[in-house]
Amino acid sequence: MTADERLIAYVDEELSPQERAAFESQMACDPVLAAKVAAHRRLAARISGSYGGVLAEPVPPRLVAVASAANDSARRGPGPLPPLWAAMAACLVIGVLAGRASWPNQEPLVMRGGELVARGDLAKALSRQLASETGLVKIGLSFRARDGAYCRTFESPPERLAGLACRRDGRWVAQTATAWAPQAALNYRTAASATPPAVLAAVDATIAGEALDASAERAARDRGWKP
Amino acid sequence: MDSFEREIVELLPRLRRFGRVLARVPADADDLVQATVERALARRGQWRLGTRLDSWMFRIMKNAWIDESRARSRSSRLFAPEEAGEAVGDAGAAAMEARLAAREVENAMAKLPQDQKVALALVLVEGLSYQEAADVLEIPAGTLTSRLVRGRAALLAELAEAAP
Repeated sequence: MTADERLIAYVDEELSPQERAAFESQMACDPVLAAKVAAHRRLAARISGSYGGVLAEPVPPRLVAVASAANDSARRGPGPLPPLWAAMAACLVIGVLAGRASWPNQEPLVMRGGELVARGDLAKALSRQLASETGLVKIGLSFRARDGAYCRTFESPPERLAGLACRRDGRWVAQTATAWAPQAALNYRTAASATPPAVLAAVDATIAGEALDASAERAARDRGWKP
Repeated sequence: MDSFEREIVELLPRLRRFGRVLARVPADADDLVQATVERALARRGQWRLGTRLDSWMFRIMKNAWIDESRARSRSSRLFAPEEAGEAVGDAGAAAMEARLAAREVENAMAKLPQDQKVALALVLVEGLSYQEAADVLEIPAGTLTSRLVRGRAALLAELAEAAP
């Protein structure tokens, strides 16, 4: 071990008790060494302190989604090709991504009791917005799940998030949410390719019958998505 | 969500911090975290129960970052604008000062060779022991300590002028 290596090993508490005692007695009669130790301690504290703020930041929901709900559908492995309603998605997903910068700084999905629950503007869009309407969030398909609950697909370009949420107990619970590249959707003529396979697979696994048409969608919304 | 996924979710803040040291620009760091989580989930069979999940994921992130850096230098986009993704907001004077001090450290860290920067991030930022950090980097302990020594000497010299 060189002198420099011993010095930083001391600062990093990597020395054995004997080495440590020997180093400290050496430091006691060597003020230059003691000053070096002090400088290295300040450096270590400064570096760790400089990155501490990241821990206090809210974690972007897309990362939580990737780590949790997204792979629930991915784990089922490759499924059959997207059925008829995938083509319908192309018709329904009409929207120009306007006002990207005005998205409020709030997480659209939060973990509650092991479930990802939509809130804020995403929850509002899921409750109120029709697929034909444009907004920060794009609503794709609406349909009924096998248990009767209403479900809707969504895409949130500012959050780089796409997913499927179902109305349960007055909340929109994400069945799947996946990171999604908004570049793919900037050209809305190719919107069909913008719905990620994970979301399409989740729809496939959840849907009972056919997707709602525009009038059924409006009627379900006006009834507050009650089954 | 199973327990493996829950542990990964709990690690996300630390993965983001480590990512920030590597990639610097917050959006790039989060892309790196995402790639890391995706790789970890795809390879969950390789993780041995009873070993540290954080170390295992740091190793995945380090490798993902090396892959990413290579791809970037090929397309010569290695240096993203320094200020990108930075929202200053209406922080108070003290917060602003802390932010500027942190920026100095980030600048100094960014000038280090990749291998020294990663070694310092694991030991000084993430608090891993030398042995754990050497395992993450898949290098002998002696190589790790020499990287730590050289990295710290460079940082001391770089930050000396800015010291109060």
